[in-house]
Amino acid sequence: MTTLLEEVPPPLAPVPGVARALRRRRRRPGGRLYAVLRIGGALVFGAVVVALVTTLVSGSSQAFGHFGPSLLWSGTYNVTKDQYPTGVFIVGTLVTTAVALVLAVAVGVATAAFLSELAPRAVAAPLSVAVDLIAAVPSIVVGLWGLLVLSPAFAHHVEPFLKRVPVLEWLLHGPALGPSMLLAGVVLAVMILPTVVALSRTAMAGVDVADREAARALGATRWQVVRTAVIPGARSGIEASVTLGMGRAMGETIAVAMVIGNTYTIPHSLLAPGATLGSAVINNFGEANPGLDRSAVVALVLVLVAITALVNVGGQLLLRARARATRT
Amino acid sequence: MTIDLDPTPSDAPIDGHDGTVVTAPTPGGAAVSLRDVSVTFGKHRVVRDVTLDLAPKRVTALVGPSGCGKTTILRTINRLHDDTGGRVSGRVTVGDLDVYARDTRPELVRSRVGMVFQRPNPFPTMSIFDNAVAGLRLNGVRNKKVLREAAEAALHHAALWDLVKDRLSAPALKLSGGQQQRLCIARALAVEPEVLLMDEPCSALDPIATAKIEELITHLASEVTIGLVTHNMFQATRVSHVTAVFLLGEDRATGELVEVGPTAQIFDRPADARTLAYVSGQVG
Amino acid sequence: MTALAPGPGAPTDAIGVRRAFVRERARRSLVRRRLASRAALVVCAGALAASLAPLVGLVAYTVGRGWPVLDGAFLTHEPTPPGVPGGGIANAIVGSVVIVALGAAMAVPVGVAAAMFLLERRGRIATTLRFCADVLTGVPSIAIGIVAYDLLIAPGGLLSLGHYSGLSGSVALAVLMLPIVVRASEAAMAAVPAELREAGLALGVRRSRVMRSVVLRGALAGLVTGNLLAVARAVGETAPLLFTAIGSQLFSLDPTQPMAAMPLVIYNDGTQPFPAAQQIAWGTALVLLALVLVLSVTARAAAARLNRRAR
Repeated sequence: MTTLLEEVPPPLAPVPGVARALRRRRRRPGGRLYAVLRIGGALVFGAVVVALVTTLVSGSSQAFGHFGPSLLWSGTYNVTKDQYPTGVFIVGTLVTTAVALVLAVAVGVATAAFLSELAPRAVAAPLSVAVDLIAAVPSIVVGLWGLLVLSPAFAHHVEPFLKRVPVLEWLLHGPALGPSMLLAGVVLAVMILPTVVALSRTAMAGVDVADREAARALGATRWQVVRTAVIPGARSGIEASVTLGMGRAMGETIAVAMVIGNTYTIPHSLLAPGATLGSAVINNFGEANPGLDRSAVVALVLVLVAITALVNVGGQLLLRARARATRT
Repeated sequence: MTIDLDPTPSDAPIDGHDGTVVTAPTPGGAAVSLRDVSVTFGKHRVVRDVTLDLAPKRVTALVGPSGCGKTTILRTINRLHDDTGGRVSGRVTVGDLDVYARDTRPELVRSRVGMVFQRPNPFPTMSIFDNAVAGLRLNGVRNKKVLREAAEAALHHAALWDLVKDRLSAPALKLSGGQQQRLCIARALAVEPEVLLMDEPCSALDPIATAKIEELITHLASEVTIGLVTHNMFQATRVSHVTAVFLLGEDRATGELVEVGPTAQIFDRPADARTLAYVSGQVG
Repeated sequence: MTALAPGPGAPTDAIGVRRAFVRERARRSLVRRRLASRAALVVCAGALAASLAPLVGLVAYTVGRGWPVLDGAFLTHEPTPPGVPGGGIANAIVGSVVIVALGAAMAVPVGVAAAMFLLERRGRIATTLRFCADVLTGVPSIAIGIVAYDLLIAPGGLLSLGHYSGLSGSVALAVLMLPIVVRASEAAMAAVPAELREAGLALGVRRSRVMRSVVLRGALAGLVTGNLLAVARAVGETAPLLFTAIGSQLFSLDPTQPMAAMPLVIYNDGTQPFPAAQQIAWGTALVLLALVLVLSVTARAAAARLNRRAR
């Protein structure tokens, strides 16, 4: 029989040593160990999540039982009258988050537009990395800088300057003492900026080249291309970045606690000190008496977790919807 | 309307083998002329020494296998290489405008030279109406009455008006592929360009949409100078008056213009052996 | 279009009139449009500068005010009683290392194991776990600290020791790191081409062996980076430690007692009105920043080295 092969392979026959080794390996129960590990890991993870939720719920149950649902919106602190100022803290959270968003979105989207569309290619990449770097700085350091550097600077220079701008007068009346809602909003803006920039930039870069060319071919200037083709095309990504930034701003506690000054009344000006859910927890948990007081603080934590979870889930859904849309 | 498969020019004669058309300046369409135009990207020269004219009221087809520079040359006319980093040498004129002169603004060139791309690209977040008038808005036309008239005229010219007149505010992406491409043609036409460049406009479309657009092209030729890049030789024979053949040069890296002439002549009795090889299917 | 009255020499046919109109409009608006484009460029560049300024300012001040405080004594001595000059943060540095190391020792094995689970299964449980991990990454760290307190320190808690301890801080940090480790590990392991895994399985090799030889080896770079980055994040966290490890003035290696940590020092000393305390806070912040930087750089360098070796 003719063959193309260089040599004729021998007929198949079992090699004794190999068969013995395979038999030995099959007897060891390694496979089961792996399954235990896997499932164990998943179980522990699940247990952690469950423990988190149940502890928060049970820890706050006493407070909810005592104050009732008005715990969620009451604006004054009066234990005898059964009022806990959660409403103050919620307002504080919302206001500081709003300030942070206004600043971060304005600066962040413009920065993203610069990095994605208007900057020379060689410079854009390292600059993006630099903008991202602040996300790596621990919040305690940002808080320290905010407290010891920004606060005096704001009290002595920035806030008096801003008070002279006529439009902002109704937002910024009252004495400028340093710790304030405005300062907290600025610190939060600094911390969520990398999120907004990175996601907006990805969204803008993902806009189809064809849309940009279409605008270009019609005679658009560079900024017109950005305005008509890029930003509308990136809108859903930008929305996602805003939502996730909002979630981050709401959840940030330690830096805010250091710069917001702590009060129990709803402030009437951005220059006044205030409190957020997070800062209230940090400042009150230590001294809270075990029992009702502490339970009320845990209720604050529960509200905070619920709000941030909702916002974050919303942001994730937006991101996923966008991913699906661009794939089609 | 029937499609004339062998369009013969009704006025000015085609003079000479290089396809240079001798005509008096016509109100409709401007003459585009390229002289010794080369385009280089980095170290790689993509296409070289192209001398070509696009005659008013005519459709000039640029044909050839892919990679031979047809699209690259087309994009020199509206300075799209400014954005992509291609260096253009040589001289390009549109009517009386020197496209690459120092003081020529690319935005103004592009408002006189319209372009339709390979894949339909209406602005996805805009309505049909907004797409149609996008070019006008970008160029500073704000008057609502003017915009509405222009949209209607342009959509008529693109044979789309009857289809969309009742849903002008619908999103542009609701249209089919062929309709979107006609919308893009309308968008380009609304700016009243003197030249319309079409880069393989039918390659992403089905045969019926393709036939509709080919019919449109033959109608449009009477008002705008049309430069049409196509890899489909039959399309060239169907709609163009003049055909320019691009092939890879000796070095197999740089494209060049091999021959240009009346379409019928190019496909029946080409002067250059390489053209003959291409049109008979031996090459590309 | 009626907007342009034809002058002498102007085109008189309809198309010509329209063309001239658009051309005129385009030319006249171009000056304004180019100006707007240039202004937008300036504004956006300014926005970039505004984005970078906080980082620059923060690093400058931390280095500027922290560096003078750093000397041998600062890094090797424990703090002196308030009012007495001198002293250092040796206990806080060591405390941070111990607490985070214990936390990582808990989080990394569990997280990688859970990631292996997610890799092999596809059902509703896996989707739910993944969803939980995503939500968990956004939970404010103070919540984790409070829950740790309730479970591990408060009398009557599940595993309560009855008093503050470094270990409870480690558990809190472990919970914080867990979702990051899970997601990063899953991503790293999923990046190993499925064909390699399937080839191993098809040869009759046990799943665990395949996992060990093929997947873990291929994903090693990603695993190292992801876990080191999670540790870098944990090192800087304050809120989980506020009510668990609570801090201490003493040098101690015993995690069952309260323990010092750098973020706690920064918080406690930085919020005091005394310049001496604030200086200690700056010095500690600089050390912390340097540590986070070293961890991040090591994470990426290790990944690069491992990637090269794997190839």
